[in-house]
Amino acid sequence: MTTASRGSPEHGGSPEADFARRSVAMHSDPRFVELRRRLRVFVFPMSAAFLAWYLLYVLMSAYARDVMSIVLFGHVNVALLFGLLQFVTTFGIAILYARYAGRRLDPLAEQIHDELDAGSAAAPAAAPAADRTGAGDEKGAGA
Amino acid sequence: MILAAEAAGAGSRALTMTLFLVLVAATLGITIWASRRTKTATDFYAGGRGFSGVQNGLAIGGDYMSAASFLGIAGMIALFGYDGFLYSIGFLVAWLVALLLVAELLRNSGRFTMADVVSYRMRQRPVRTAAAFSTITVSIFYLLAQMVGAGALIALLLGIQDGETFLGLTADQAKIVTIVLVGILMIVYVTFGGMKGTTWVQIVKAVLLMTGAGLLSVLVLAAYGFNFGALLEDAARASGQEGTRFLEPGLRYGVEVAGDPLATLWSKLDLISLGIALVLGTAGLPHILIRFYTVPNSRAARTSVNWAIGLIGTFYLLTLVLGFGAAALVGREAILAQDAAGNAAAPQLAEEVGQSLGGDALGAVMLALIASVAFATILAVVAGLTLASSSSIAHDFYAQVVRRGKATDKEEVRVARLSALGIGAVSIVLAVFAQGLNVAFLVALAFAVAASANLPALLLSLFWKRFNTAGAVAGIYGGLVSAVGLVFFSPVVSGKVDPETGNSLSLFPAGVDFAWFPLENPGLVSIPVGFLCAVVGTLLSKERDPDKHAELEVRALTGAGAH
Repeated sequence: MTTASRGSPEHGGSPEADFARRSVAMHSDPRFVELRRRLRVFVFPMSAAFLAWYLLYVLMSAYARDVMSIVLFGHVNVALLFGLLQFVTTFGIAILYARYAGRRLDPLAEQIHDELDAGSAAAPAAAPAADRTGAGDEKGAGA
Repeated sequence: MILAAEAAGAGSRALTMTLFLVLVAATLGITIWASRRTKTATDFYAGGRGFSGVQNGLAIGGDYMSAASFLGIAGMIALFGYDGFLYSIGFLVAWLVALLLVAELLRNSGRFTMADVVSYRMRQRPVRTAAAFSTITVSIFYLLAQMVGAGALIALLLGIQDGETFLGLTADQAKIVTIVLVGILMIVYVTFGGMKGTTWVQIVKAVLLMTGAGLLSVLVLAAYGFNFGALLEDAARASGQEGTRFLEPGLRYGVEVAGDPLATLWSKLDLISLGIALVLGTAGLPHILIRFYTVPNSRAARTSVNWAIGLIGTFYLLTLVLGFGAAALVGREAILAQDAAGNAAAPQLAEEVGQSLGGDALGAVMLALIASVAFATILAVVAGLTLASSSSIAHDFYAQVVRRGKATDKEEVRVARLSALGIGAVSIVLAVFAQGLNVAFLVALAFAVAASANLPALLLSLFWKRFNTAGAVAGIYGGLVSAVGLVFFSPVVSGKVDPETGNSLSLFPAGVDFAWFPLENPGLVSIPVGFLCAVVGTLLSKERDPDKHAELEVRALTGAGAH
């Protein structure tokens, strides 16, 4: 539960506490470290790029009106083309990200997810035993 | 051409009223259907998490494309040309922030509200209180703008002129009746239909809006032999602006004030401020964020954002055709005669295009169709906003702050339903009082508050390990107070006067002037203030919880343990 109050995972062998412990252990697992690297290596530079590209557009609308008013063809000027290019890059980045995530993120995330949730499914059965012995917690967490 | 043109006007009115009633009946039918299928808290807040990515993508479009987008942007392009397009671009590019940084991580790690994620590794009560506070502020601002707009719009679309009556109502009475009716409808959708009902109302609206805008755009382009350049040429000529000025930026935003470099500077900074608030606001809007919880997993959340981007992008391209089409075919004079802000430009265009194709009868049909699309648009957006604020009151404030996490799901849902009633009642009263005021700035203000108060807390809680309770609380209140405070002391609230007529262009009447902040959009200052407060607040507090951070990160990235 996301609503669990702070500090509670430390005591007891509840399924939530067990899940929290296994999540913390997973955080330093090489597969998770790799997943986080793959996510960040895409979303951070891409966010910086599209924000800079958008800001350039806004700044040029404010300060480079001479350039923006150059007519390219028909009645289409730089301002209109630049605006339409913002649409093109937005659609493009969305498609690129969907492909990247499907190929590089989802398989790894799914693997980790399945492993953690499989442990949780087993936990309710294991929990009463853990309550009685108390010391059994550590072994369960390693599964 | 005036909307209420005698005989055609009467026919159009009857048809418009009929279509409105069909729409109300259909949405109430959906609500009854949804209420039978709403039993648990997950059903009420998140539609049972049973919507597909495509369905949710449509619903996001329905939730996001407000009457301000449809009528406001088309009208702004019709009157100010290129500058209306700036809004469209900001509103669209903003979705990349949601796609890359927020949607999937939020879906994986939260349950029902934005605060679920922000408060995950923090002390619940202070963070949930702050998040509920900013959620309600953003939603009420947005709601007020929509409801006051609805009143004005319906009077306009039914063609009720000042001094005229319709069903025995004057224009002012009709506005109030509309506000009250819209308010009652949104309360009914949310209290009975919950997220399921609201989502389907939004899906229906998205389909209607895309169909209506698409059809109208095709007809406009057909009038120019599908030559967009010819449309632009005609629009520029009809605008009355010199040369091709109409097709260039600068008529509405970042205006060059001759002989006053300071006014020019403020005007240009205002444009930049607006641009930044638009692009960063979307991913902090509570009614958009809660939509990501209605799908089963993060992959469906991604699919839904991609569909939303396609839909919203296409729609804004259509508004370009509608706006320039209205400038060319309806003309500036006729648009201004109907509504000073140009909000009637799209319906006027529909009537004009219909008339030129099939005479007055077809003109009346087209007008009625576009008017009902606008009405559906308003209903879907206000329902989403009411749901977002009542969810936050029940799930964040009542369950965690008042009951300290001991409330049952059943109790929460009961409080959420009561909150929807309360929010609805408060909005109706406020909107009736604000009815004669110029509240169009509230939409931009809602985006500025979302970007200044919500986005810093949300991003830092997902990506900054050190972030803590003090930082979240300082960031939310700092962003909220600076955004609202700066607007209060800006020209939109007081001191802006039309140089020709002497009429007030601010919220307060002419003669009242306590404005000292020169920008109309606070984002340029309040967004950095929000981030800065969040960072300084964090560093001043010793609290850190690396385990809880590790847990949140694993959940957010993998979806393990997701609800």
